[in-house]
Amino acid sequence: MTINATDAAIRALAAEKRLPQVHLERWLAMDADSSSALISIAHTLKLRTGQLATAIELLDEIAVREKTSAARVLGGPRARAIVDGGGSAPERARAMLEHLRLIRFPELVRTRAALDADIKALNLPGGAQVVLPSELASDEVTVTLRFRNAGEFERMLARLNDAKLGISAILDKLGGKE
Amino acid sequence: MNFDLDEILIERESRESALATRIGGALGDHIPVIEVDDARAAARPRPGDRDPFGAGKRRMLIVRRKSPFLMACPAGSSRFACCGYLVLTIASNCPMDCSYCFLQEYLADNPVFQIFSNYTDALDEVDRMIASAPGRSFRVGTGELADSLAFDSITAMSHDLVEYFSARPNLTLELKTKTDEVDTLLALDPRGRVLVSWSLSPEAVFLSSEHRSAAPAARIAAARRVLEAGYRVAFHFDPIIAYPSAARDYLELIDTLLDSIPAKDISFVSMGGLRMTPTLKSAARRRHPDDAMLCGEDVLAPDGRYRSFAPLRLRLYRQLAAKFRKAGAEIPSYLCMEVPSVHEKVFGATPPRPATIGERLATI
Repeated sequence: MTINATDAAIRALAAEKRLPQVHLERWLAMDADSSSALISIAHTLKLRTGQLATAIELLDEIAVREKTSAARVLGGPRARAIVDGGGSAPERARAMLEHLRLIRFPELVRTRAALDADIKALNLPGGAQVVLPSELASDEVTVTLRFRNAGEFERMLARLNDAKLGISAILDKLGGKE
Repeated sequence: MNFDLDEILIERESRESALATRIGGALGDHIPVIEVDDARAAARPRPGDRDPFGAGKRRMLIVRRKSPFLMACPAGSSRFACCGYLVLTIASNCPMDCSYCFLQEYLADNPVFQIFSNYTDALDEVDRMIASAPGRSFRVGTGELADSLAFDSITAMSHDLVEYFSARPNLTLELKTKTDEVDTLLALDPRGRVLVSWSLSPEAVFLSSEHRSAAPAARIAAARRVLEAGYRVAFHFDPIIAYPSAARDYLELIDTLLDSIPAKDISFVSMGGLRMTPTLKSAARRRHPDDAMLCGEDVLAPDGRYRSFAPLRLRLYRQLAAKFRKAGAEIPSYLCMEVPSVHEKVFGATPPRPATIGERLATI
């Protein structure tokens, strides 16, 4: 496609999806290979408006962070495997966004995985949950208990008490303690 | 003066002011001077400017301030553990252009660099404040909506301020800057009542984000000079940006700082992680699209600002605080725009009330 044809295709897709202007501008500001690669992905994976906006944001910021281009990211082996792989378009779209998120937020994804593993290791009963803040955006942990009678409640409190040190360690990690 | 100005606008009412005369005398005929009738209109973005905020930095408007000069720090909030800082707005906007600067949002509707011809009226407001609170001490600064020293070589505003504050034992003036423009200060006697503070960032942040500011080494050298001239000094590690080698770079920066300024001579240190409202982030990314420092692992925090995710941000705070502790002197420290639980985790103690910490910082 020529640059004009690419721009026209982007504008047409953006109009169809009612993509916010700010995202359209960021897409148009990408280099030619990158904007074309994103058109292709948007069509193949049938990205919804929110997914397309998220992909533009992630790709734009990855390009700045990693000093690369959206075309290179979308042409990488993992991204190609998602596009060419099996599964429905919505499943592949979700997988692509997860992949981009992993590149954009590597430390956050690693920290979250480590904390999830710590929570699993607490081995709490089904009705008890330790919930981390969304995107680890704060230092606050929520504990929820679901129970139907006093006996269940007592048993859960006892299990929570047993898990006290583990929960404290999770709070420490969330609070940046090394 | 190390900064470029395209023009100077003077509201007619300020034409004969001492400030306008001083600036005119310092700049001579190098920069066009235009008289304006409507200062409010002149302060607004100019139609047709591709980057109205950036263009506003190169247009100085000398104008009378009609609003109060003295206010609580605009960053303050009851949800945060604040430092009790009071702000004197004697200028608005800044000739430097840090990519993360909150003024890109705060001054979006009146970006022209305003400098207030009646700034000495601010001192009357301070007089009234201290008269209304006998026995209390206050820390008052001019570096919130502007850099305190950027244009001091042509405005000499610090002269009046230092003279006033140096005669009042229950006041501390904080001049906050990212420049090394301290020559005017060196000729004055602060009598222990004036503190000059620098925002400090590692070289990587300076090169990527702090356009037209002095290099970190030059800021530290300037701090050394004012310290020797009898001023107190403090340092703001704010914003702390959590880029991949941030921990190493910030710790090295502290080493460099302590090589020049002994810990015992540092009045206090503050820390604050980069935080941006969605509007600020959008403006900053639009104006500085290639700055990787604006693309950290930032998530939307409970206060509606993008911040580094909590464990990453708090780990950096802890590392920096530990480094200062190891320096061997008890340097008073506080966090800017963080909730009390974060203070507790970083410093191991509940933060004092803003008025208490404000008083403490004013009397150190």
